[in-house]
Amino acid sequence: MSARTDFSRDKAFLIDMTKCTGCRGCQVACKQWNQLKAENTTFFTGEGYQNPPAMSEHTFTRIKFRDYQKNGQNEFAFYKEMCMHCNDPACASVCPVGAFQKTAEGPVVYLDDKCIGCRFCMIACPFGVPKYEWSKAFPLVRKCTGCYSRVQEGLKPACATTCPTAITYGPREEMIKEAERRLAAHPDRYLQKVYGKEEAGGTSVIYLTALPFDELGFKPVTMRALPSYTWQALRLVPGIFLTVGGTLSAVSWFQHRKEKVKQAETESKGAACCAAAEAAETSKEDHQ
Amino acid sequence: MTAARYVLHEIQSYHRFIKFLIFLVALAAVGSTIRFIFGLGATTNLNDTYPWGLWISFDVVTAVPLAAGAFTIGVVAHIFHIKKLEPLVRPAIVTGFLGYSLVCVGLMLDLGQPHRGIYVLFPWNWNVHSPMFEVSMCVMAYTTVLFLEFLHPVSERFGWHIPLRLLRNLQIPFAILAAMISTLHQSTLGTFFLIAVDKLHPLWYNPLLPLQFWLSAIFTGLSIVILEASLVHRFMGQPNESDLLATLTRIIPWVMGCYMMVKLVALLTFSEGALFDRPVLTTLFVVEVAVGLLLPFWMFLQSRIRTDKSMQLRAASLVIFGLVLNRFNVSMFGMIQPGQQIYAPNVLESVVTVGIIAAHILFFVLMAKYFPIFEHHPEAVDATIPDTFRRVGKEELKAIPVTVLPDP
Ligand code: SF4
Ligand code: SF4
Ligand code: SF4
Repeated sequence: MSARTDFSRDKAFLIDMTKCTGCRGCQVACKQWNQLKAENTTFFTGEGYQNPPAMSEHTFTRIKFRDYQKNGQNEFAFYKEMCMHCNDPACASVCPVGAFQKTAEGPVVYLDDKCIGCRFCMIACPFGVPKYEWSKAFPLVRKCTGCYSRVQEGLKPACATTCPTAITYGPREEMIKEAERRLAAHPDRYLQKVYGKEEAGGTSVIYLTALPFDELGFKPVTMRALPSYTWQALRLVPGIFLTVGGTLSAVSWFQHRKEKVKQAETESKGAACCAAAEAAETSKEDHQ
Repeated sequence: MTAARYVLHEIQSYHRFIKFLIFLVALAAVGSTIRFIFGLGATTNLNDTYPWGLWISFDVVTAVPLAAGAFTIGVVAHIFHIKKLEPLVRPAIVTGFLGYSLVCVGLMLDLGQPHRGIYVLFPWNWNVHSPMFEVSMCVMAYTTVLFLEFLHPVSERFGWHIPLRLLRNLQIPFAILAAMISTLHQSTLGTFFLIAVDKLHPLWYNPLLPLQFWLSAIFTGLSIVILEASLVHRFMGQPNESDLLATLTRIIPWVMGCYMMVKLVALLTFSEGALFDRPVLTTLFVVEVAVGLLLPFWMFLQSRIRTDKSMQLRAASLVIFGLVLNRFNVSMFGMIQPGQQIYAPNVLESVVTVGIIAAHILFFVLMAKYFPIFEHHPEAVDATIPDTFRRVGKEELKAIPVTVLPDP
């Protein structure tokens, strides 16, 4: 959970899928800037022309294709998969060593010299973004960095720079405003929803589409920030720790006290009787 | 040279079964070496869809509650002060210590950067929002506590008097500390899966998961004590403890009852989404509840079964089966999305996990062979040494053999 609550000035992507041509310039630009290897793939393994089949250690962003019919015409729809740079990122909250950080500028970055490789971040991310270097003996996690190094220098991310039509980059508040303006201006062209405004507690990647989001392969996600789900249990930890300790100490003290009182009573009844009781107890507890 | 020959000779004298265990452990060691040389991707069936597999599901998520015997019996015997259960405590502590040590081994095997495991301890990395952080800290702390408790028989074996006295004084504080730490990490293992909001199926996903993990760890811990005492009686010539175990079988149904209530409430009021939409998951759930929960619960309620030594063992085994299935349902089966490829561990993963289980049994048997884990020797403490730690005076020494009998 990040301490910040105001994300309006964070840098955000507004990705208007209705304006995407499927050129995949963004995919290539991402590979170039991050110096990622090409993947050896075969065509038509997935739906339509999409390639490679999934994001991976070598592919931080990818255009998914979807064929559909409109007025008897074959149409394409696209979805640009990438890290959503959540306001309150699940990946950062679960990492035991804090290797994921939400930066003040917006991108969620990964500090690879901290990571111990537990892969909890991969379980936690609701969008299935972090990928592992399965090809290596001592692997690290890889994911879209939001081109943090470029953003720090005042540049736009590589994909946003390359995209001829669909990606706008700027303060989150303005991106949401612009998205809502487009929805209002062309109600016929868009599904009336700004994806990323509330999803997973709000993200720095915001989508507009024409088709329903699930049909494009968007994952169903909760509207609550994910770290709040675990925190509602974890915040009780110190209290429970002390309660258990306190209760058991009290019980232990009480039980021993009871024992002592009993012992004192038996002793006062006389040594002979006590020896007899002891002998009886001994035989009772002789389990051998 | 002679030492090596002595060890070899000693090993040759072992029972066939122990030799077989050694073979399994050796096989797992070879498997682990291969894993470290070639990496996780090349040697396991893990991938981006299944970042966690058998090693997390069994070696960590399941093995931790299976090692809960030490803290539960510690609370019952030392805190609630049911002294007659004392003979069960020490074997349970040895089992717990072995269990947690092997959890650490399992975690190391699964980490992509095992040499950095220590980073979790550095304060500048601490992330209190991470359940994994909490569990790692707890597991390390608790393994240390168990190690100290385990030093007890070791000190007896070698006649270290001063540490023995210190440890004896610390017995109750340790039991309390063990319960505190265990409560945290047993429940936090459930918190792990609270982050998997839209991934874990609603049959298991609900905000009460941590509470359920904690409760089930308690009754499973006690069942493990039963299992262990019964097996040790059968195969290692130890006395029949079924009278003592009957005390435990009276406690277990209470905890199971609480657990079932929480599970029911969670299912009825806190679960969101369709519960019985996936036949395979429904079956797994039904088996978990019917065979691993309701049946042993019913069995433990029958006083005839509760006190019978072979029925105790059967009921306890069912409880353990139910727990294993539950942890796999939560950490693996329930996380599989419809239409997703299915993960199955490969040979190497399986060999390593089998080796870890074998190592547990092997080390237990060996420790029982060389250390006094089945009997206390209070008379071994030399009372003439000036006792700077007080408490264990001559009076107490006289008093102890009343509750725990030394070897005749
Ligand atoms: S560069 Fe822009 S138009 Fe081209 S595929 Fe990427 S998002 Fe679509
Ligand atoms: S999309 Fe996933 S990886 Fe990206 S910031 Fe959110 S939780 Fe982290
Ligand atoms: S794999 Fe690395 S980055 Fe991911 S949660 Fe574990 S330590 Fe953190």
